[in-house]
Amino acid sequence: MKLTKILALALCAVMALGTLAGCGSVNYAENNTEYVIGVSGPLTGSAAMYGVAVVNAAQIAVDEINAAGGLNGVMFKLVSTDDMNDATKISTNYSSMFEGGMQISLGTVTTQPGLEFKNLSADDNVFFLTPSASGDKIPENKNGYQMCFADGNQGKVAADFVNANYANTTIGVFYKSDEAYSKGIYDQFKANLDASVKVVETTFTDANATDFSTQIDTLKSCSFIFMPIYYTPASLFMTQAKDILAKKAVYYGCDGFDGIDNIEGFDIKSIPQAVTMLSHFNSKATEGPAKEFIDKYVAKYGKDTLNQFGASAYDCVYAIYGAMQKAISEGKEIPVTISASDLCDIMMEQFEGGYTYENGVTGEKIAWEKSGYVNKSAIQYVIKEAK
Amino acid sequence: MELILSTLINGLSLGGIYAMIALGYTMVYGIAKMLNFAHGDIIMVGGYTIYVFMAFGNPVLAVAMAVFFCVLLGITVEKVAYKPLRGASPLAVLITAIGVSYLLQSLAQIVFGSANKMVMVYDFGSVSFLGVTLQMSAIVTLAVTVAVMAALTLFVKYTRLGRAMVAVSEDKGAAQLMGINVNGIITITFAIGSALAALAGLFYLLKAPSISSTLGAMPGIKAFTAAVIGGIGSIPGAMLGGILLGMVECISYKITAIAPYTDAIEFSILIIILLVRPTGFLGKKRREKV
Amino acid sequence: MMNKLKNFRWNHYINYIVIGILTAVFSVISLTGGHLSSSMLFLLEKIAISVILAVSLSLVVGFLGELSLGHAGFMCVGAYLGGKVSALLADSLGDGVLNLIISLVVGGCIAAVCGVIIGIPALRLRGDYLAIVTLAFGEIVKSLFQNTSDESFGGALGLETPRFDKQYLFIWAFLLVLLTLAVIQNLIRSSHGRAITAIRDNEIAARASGINVTKYKLLAFTVSAFFAGIAGVLYSFSNYTVQSAKFGYNYSIEILVMVVLGGMGSINGSIIAAALITFLNTKLATILTGDLAVLQNFFYALILIVIVVYNNAPALKNFRDRYNIQVLLHKISGLRKDPSRITDDRAKWDVVPTKIEMNEILSIDMKPQNTRADKPDKGNGGKR
Repeated sequence: MKLTKILALALCAVMALGTLAGCGSVNYAENNTEYVIGVSGPLTGSAAMYGVAVVNAAQIAVDEINAAGGLNGVMFKLVSTDDMNDATKISTNYSSMFEGGMQISLGTVTTQPGLEFKNLSADDNVFFLTPSASGDKIPENKNGYQMCFADGNQGKVAADFVNANYANTTIGVFYKSDEAYSKGIYDQFKANLDASVKVVETTFTDANATDFSTQIDTLKSCSFIFMPIYYTPASLFMTQAKDILAKKAVYYGCDGFDGIDNIEGFDIKSIPQAVTMLSHFNSKATEGPAKEFIDKYVAKYGKDTLNQFGASAYDCVYAIYGAMQKAISEGKEIPVTISASDLCDIMMEQFEGGYTYENGVTGEKIAWEKSGYVNKSAIQYVIKEAK
Repeated sequence: MELILSTLINGLSLGGIYAMIALGYTMVYGIAKMLNFAHGDIIMVGGYTIYVFMAFGNPVLAVAMAVFFCVLLGITVEKVAYKPLRGASPLAVLITAIGVSYLLQSLAQIVFGSANKMVMVYDFGSVSFLGVTLQMSAIVTLAVTVAVMAALTLFVKYTRLGRAMVAVSEDKGAAQLMGINVNGIITITFAIGSALAALAGLFYLLKAPSISSTLGAMPGIKAFTAAVIGGIGSIPGAMLGGILLGMVECISYKITAIAPYTDAIEFSILIIILLVRPTGFLGKKRREKV
Repeated sequence: MMNKLKNFRWNHYINYIVIGILTAVFSVISLTGGHLSSSMLFLLEKIAISVILAVSLSLVVGFLGELSLGHAGFMCVGAYLGGKVSALLADSLGDGVLNLIISLVVGGCIAAVCGVIIGIPALRLRGDYLAIVTLAFGEIVKSLFQNTSDESFGGALGLETPRFDKQYLFIWAFLLVLLTLAVIQNLIRSSHGRAITAIRDNEIAARASGINVTKYKLLAFTVSAFFAGIAGVLYSFSNYTVQSAKFGYNYSIEILVMVVLGGMGSINGSIIAAALITFLNTKLATILTGDLAVLQNFFYALILIVIVVYNNAPALKNFRDRYNIQVLLHKISGLRKDPSRITDDRAKWDVVPTKIEMNEILSIDMKPQNTRADKPDKGNGGKR
């Protein structure tokens, strides 16, 4: 008898499925007492330096805004989660932040998890302005914006530089073929390169690889090496190649190089070759907003994790703050319990409507294209000259 | 010519490291009849020990401590995790070995954190030879590996202990009847294998002065591939397999079109060898007992 | 009818009933407006995927007795191919049920073909060698998908797949769990299943008894791979991108841990362990942050070692027989264990020697009657 009852119950339940539809969304922010900004980044693992820098710098910005009275008296709060640069952690991280009342976000710190984040946030209509997830597809949806240069753009700028300075020569490229960031930059680089520049490329795939002797051997005759990779493998490559490559050779990296001069146990001065990177932030700045930021950051967290990712995150928080302020001045209401979706609509209107963030750490006039890409000037930053 | 020479040296030195690890695998497999999955992680422990003792600034001391510590660890792991399972299903032993491997990795991460640690053991510098710049460390690696292999072969062939090892690997029961302490021999095998792993850890640090908790994971699996290619249980086979694999890896990385697939190529070789000639190049054929 | 019910073996179907009821309850909550949060939905999807993976791996590891370290590789094949099919179909069919079913069939079947391919070495190799071949297979698959072109499978960026409606996907996922259970559990309880366990216990004896070892090994690998592929397709539907980095060796081990913790050869154990581990992984991910996160792996490894050593050490056999969960349960419930009852779900793989040494068989006849002579005398040779 029992069984038939259970079967009947189950049947009822299944029938209920057909007739009833899912219901609308819930405003998880309705009990908020502060504006909640969420961010997911690698706080542990080989890219931890970026995640830590972003969280630290964003916290500085939040503290400053709060100390100055917040937004019309309402404070901000930063919530961070650790994704270890792993896309599979994002669904958990995102939903825990969203259900914890996140109203606006800095997205993810790195590209790979960002590819998942951008869609999840689009579903719930949560605005994000990422400081450093540079993938071309990250701002694909309407709710996503970037503070850093997109990979394709970095590759193009690097290619222009090579075209201008290394025409008719052979250059080397060292990249990680299975990583979105590295491959994204390299594909655009190759597409924009002049035919007169010959390329010798070499690659690696194991994320834990430490031995690059074969790759170095392939590139040993090159005097210019483009490395769109993160700093850990780059530093290993340089250490192992220091006696093999020509002393005047140049390493040219993108934003992944950032922080390479701060790795524990790796002394960049021991490398005879020159190291240059494409950046929007000069970590040796002696004046302007960049200098102020550096002083504040070093005073609070030391210089170990000081890099452009942090600078960019600092700008992100202020840009969001500025846009909210502007929206209020234009008559919009942003109560503390505003739902993420409503805030997103307000923010998108601002960012699409030509909102410009001025005097930032990573650029004087920062505006955004409709596509979500940032519009500011890149600086080529020489980390160290050749000996 | 230059290309061939430099690829050769790179392949040989990488192969030397693989051979060093494969020697440990092959000895343990030959005698304890188990795949010691944690062998690769002993390399990592060796590397971290060198990192810790390099604080005293003496590379010789650091390497000696690494060997000592790895031997101790190898014996402990054998006694605690593998010995109770002697006579149990091979599946259970294999799963335990995987567990030990994970335990060591996560332990290292708890102690040293997840970020890479940099440590410069000793800079051998480089030499120019026929117009090619060669890392001296690569040559040292190769020389030490060849020396170790020769010593091991002599040890197994001509000493009492070595012959006892051969006897245990041939037939445990008969060896025991002949008065050989089988458990003791297995412990000694683990000790030797772990010492070799410590040296492999040193070579990795000489090649690239950086260490993380996953240092041994991939080399461990690749070295097992090398041991299988050479024929498991055979000491010259491990050397041959290691060097072959090192060469394949280097050559594959040199060819742009297939470079991203290097790992896939190495593992495909493993599968093909196992299917075509499961005993490897130098392994002995064994009849399975009923 | 009543008679049939009386003979109905509850413990045989308890897992369907429990999962069925839970699914129904959650479905009702989700669909009648009682809002299930998206983290809950994610968790349910993840649990369903883990359960399918663990149950299918259990067929190969627990029942066939071969260690597969490439289960994530089969899942990867399913996720990429099923995901690709669904992405291609999304234009014409939308991301509805029809698309889901077609993708599931395609992903599952292609994974099953891979299962056959990996089953072939399984015929020649045993134990450690086979484990390494499956591991190599998993790494090869991962590496191939990682380096595809952007147009075909997305390469490093990962394959973008349509995501099924969140409110419904978990229901489909649990229906698939039930399907997996139905197929695998019935397979194991059939004569085919007994043939598979016979191969595990003694391959040569099984062959001698006329069991077609080739056929059953391939069958087990194929079915297992098929459902791993199904889990992969589900994964592709529950995520926006399929990134091959997930399907590495580590993930295969995670599935193996579920099977081992659940008890080798216990389907229900695998289900519970899979659900529990997935739940803990998700919950701990938000609690253990920073370098503490690794504690989780540490404890899994420790538990794995302790459980395997405890369950398999020959020296602990007596201890095990006296104190185990079943005895404990029977003590609590006051029931005596009925020795005549064949508990066919729970294979005693640790009790049956995997290989009988020839000299053991011979020595049975030659054993002296005097039991004292049986004991090995220590060192005093022929002296009396």
